[in-house]
Amino acid sequence: MDEIKFANNIVSKAKEMDIDDVEVFYNSSKNLDVVWEKGDLQIPKTDLYQGFGIRVFKDGSTGFSSSNILNEEEAEKVLKRAIEIAEVTPSDESNVLPKKDEIDYVEDIVDERNDDIKLVNAVEKGKEFVESFLNYDKRVKLDSANFSTRLSKRAIVNSKGIEAVEEKTVFESMAMAFAREGENVSSFDLSFQTACKLSELNLKEEAEELAEKVVNSLDAESVESFEGSVILSPFSVLSVLASPLNFAVNGENVINGISPWTDKIGEEVAIPELSVIDDAHIAGGVGSRSFDREGVSSERLDIIKDGKLTNFLHNSYTAHKMDSESTGHAGGGAQSKPGVSPSNFIIDGGDKNLEEIIKDTDKGILVNRFSGNADPVSGDFSGVVKGGKYIENGEIVKSVKGVMIAGNVYKLLKNISAMTKKKQFIHNFRLPHVRFEDVSITGE
Amino acid sequence: MNVIKKLKEALEKSEHWTEIRYHHRQQTSIEIKNGEVSKVEDSTLAGVGVRCLVNGCWGFAATADMSEEALAKAVREAASAARVGSTLRKKKIEKIAEGEMAQGEYIYADEGDDVQLKEKIDRFLNAEELIRNKEDIISGIVNYSKYNDKKIILNTEGTQAEVKDIKHDIGVVAVGNNGTSQEVGSVSAGVTGGWNDLFAEKSMMEMVEEAVNIARTKLEAEYAQGGEYTVILDPMLVGVLAHEAIGHTVEADFVMSGSIVQDKIGEKVASEKVTMIDDGNVEKTAGMTLVDDEGTVAQKTTIIEDGILNEYLHNRESAAEFAVKPKGNARAFTYRDEPLIRMTNTYIEEGDSSFEEMVSEIDNGYYLKGLGQGGQADANAEFMFGVQEAYKIEDGQITDPVKGITISGQAFNVLNSVDAVGDDLRFALGRGYCGKGQLAKVDAGGPHLRCKVTIGGKQEGDVQ
Repeated sequence: MDEIKFANNIVSKAKEMDIDDVEVFYNSSKNLDVVWEKGDLQIPKTDLYQGFGIRVFKDGSTGFSSSNILNEEEAEKVLKRAIEIAEVTPSDESNVLPKKDEIDYVEDIVDERNDDIKLVNAVEKGKEFVESFLNYDKRVKLDSANFSTRLSKRAIVNSKGIEAVEEKTVFESMAMAFAREGENVSSFDLSFQTACKLSELNLKEEAEELAEKVVNSLDAESVESFEGSVILSPFSVLSVLASPLNFAVNGENVINGISPWTDKIGEEVAIPELSVIDDAHIAGGVGSRSFDREGVSSERLDIIKDGKLTNFLHNSYTAHKMDSESTGHAGGGAQSKPGVSPSNFIIDGGDKNLEEIIKDTDKGILVNRFSGNADPVSGDFSGVVKGGKYIENGEIVKSVKGVMIAGNVYKLLKNISAMTKKKQFIHNFRLPHVRFEDVSITGE
Repeated sequence: MNVIKKLKEALEKSEHWTEIRYHHRQQTSIEIKNGEVSKVEDSTLAGVGVRCLVNGCWGFAATADMSEEALAKAVREAASAARVGSTLRKKKIEKIAEGEMAQGEYIYADEGDDVQLKEKIDRFLNAEELIRNKEDIISGIVNYSKYNDKKIILNTEGTQAEVKDIKHDIGVVAVGNNGTSQEVGSVSAGVTGGWNDLFAEKSMMEMVEEAVNIARTKLEAEYAQGGEYTVILDPMLVGVLAHEAIGHTVEADFVMSGSIVQDKIGEKVASEKVTMIDDGNVEKTAGMTLVDDEGTVAQKTTIIEDGILNEYLHNRESAAEFAVKPKGNARAFTYRDEPLIRMTNTYIEEGDSSFEEMVSEIDNGYYLKGLGQGGQADANAEFMFGVQEAYKIEDGQITDPVKGITISGQAFNVLNSVDAVGDDLRFALGRGYCGKGQLAKVDAGGPHLRCKVTIGGKQEGDVQ
């Protein structure tokens, strides 16, 4: 179907009605999902979703309604419902639509071979992944594995002249696994890979790394409590560090006053070596996008530069609240009105490799996975270390279990002592290993 | 054309075992933040999920297009997905079990007491303003969702069921800040039923007061000392423990992949004071599931009976494997999702101890209330949950509030340590969703429980 034509039709109809402005967002996604559980193939799935959302602006109020039933009659119904909602919602001067913007299209986010990838190919890819894992060692157990492909299309038309459409493909592989030897069960561990092009995934390597990790955490021992260094893996950086950071710089949380950094622009929030960047324009980046959920061109944005907080992520609404301009971070799909979301969220500034960091650690824990909570409002985190390694005098001494770590992420940002240059791609995050100092480590 | 007729026609063309599930959902969401209506949305998500079983393997295809051609295509796609899968699947599905299959209409959707959208918005705005106007509170949030679900489930065995229900949920959040620290208080409720049911246990004003009190109390609270303690868990934490740490390990798909309770049916896994149930029939609860998405009518599952592991949770496939009857735990969140083994309302049955009695017998422990930030558990039943609200218990008395508490342990060890079960069963997950690749509305709860857990608190020398 012609999404732009469908959206333009709604915009034309809306203009005849008693409203000021209108925006129609369309998105579709064609997915293939292959799942393994219990070491065996589960249900291969195909799914085509197409839907649209209409946002109307009337006397300073907005109303939003959406549907995935794609016909003219339904479109009219949804438009009317959006107007009804606008009529009962209080006005807010920050309800604004962005104007037409020049769009610079991102490259390499569509795998041209996507059309040739059928469910049968996806099943075979999944098989390669799972068998590489299970063949590694007979003690490894697969909790689940997943290989998926997604072709998505987004289109936007608004009454201020914005009209844009973009496609993207994303391939992902994920596995959750543990090792079992008699009554000895290791902790769960997971692996994850993602890319816009299938040829960029290395499934065999991923599977074998995961198998090695779970087998190595089988004979874990306890340690005594101490205060020392904690090296977080990219997965644990995601939960302990990147998620709270993402929360703190999200314009919605800033205007709502729940971000701890609401009035900290320009201030030093981290060590000078740390940079946090959101870059929507990385060729081939799974988080890349040429325009956001409102049709605003997404640019590279420095969030933290040389340790100083420089920018928040904004959509038109949150930007207007702060007398600022949208940074092109309106996020979400057709089923809800625009929120704020990052594109490729990068923690940068490291110059070491993991071996160097371990070698340079006197006493500490390497956290493979963090199972706990990190409260983004206060920054307090506390949880159990999974697949942990105890480090003494620059060497990994043993695998540990029953270890808990706790601290405050916003304070620890000034206590980072090392980061790796190499980053792991986890969904739209690009994260290094990060070492913090003076963390309380609770053992037995 | 009539939807059932269309679905039947598509089904008749299938050469294989096929299930067609039409699901029409209308969802309304309202969110108020800091005096502003940050969200009012109305969305429709409708379509058909088709599942075929061919040569011992499932295939699934979903479409929102209800045309005759699109439905026929979805059936073909599901069958071909299954056929491809069957060439790789090692363990073939030989049969699927039959529980009580639904036939006819199952309706729990009385909208008689629902109020207009404008009135809801006004009431929530009012509630949020009350929160924000309290001393030491800087921010308030009210979130509300309503799901109006209609399903039609047909299969080639002749099952034909129409299921309708309405679910509402609400969350009320107060963010406190006294200049030195910031704390969150959160209260929520969720029901299957009408608008008034949502406020049956706590009125809007009571939720507001409670959220504000939690945030303020935490502002004044000290950090706790870590270690193993005798504690009293409130119904919400009991529910979280039952659902998250125990419940997932007894889902038959987890059991088959080697969860800690594999081959443990008939063994003692908990104190004899503990009986744990999953039941989709509990009226008004958020996890109420009259008929599951395979068309099985909900029945009560006694997971643990007097401390003995009794039953796992099943779908039709796993029930056949274990030679038992499925009891309505195969659930799908939207038409695009295939049914998975899910919990409904998971709870610990009530006992005979009064709360006062339970507190009076503790010399040095904690009273822990509500789930705080986060929670996680593994297939070996090891868990870690954040606790929202906590108080010391000293010499049989509840004393000072403490904050920043997480509890961890092995859930079956915790259940083994239970020495008193309260007489005050409550479903308490509130705005509870369970995630297992897809979401599900669930509830969970129990009475107050006295048991031993490891508390992770602050240590001397922590980075402040």
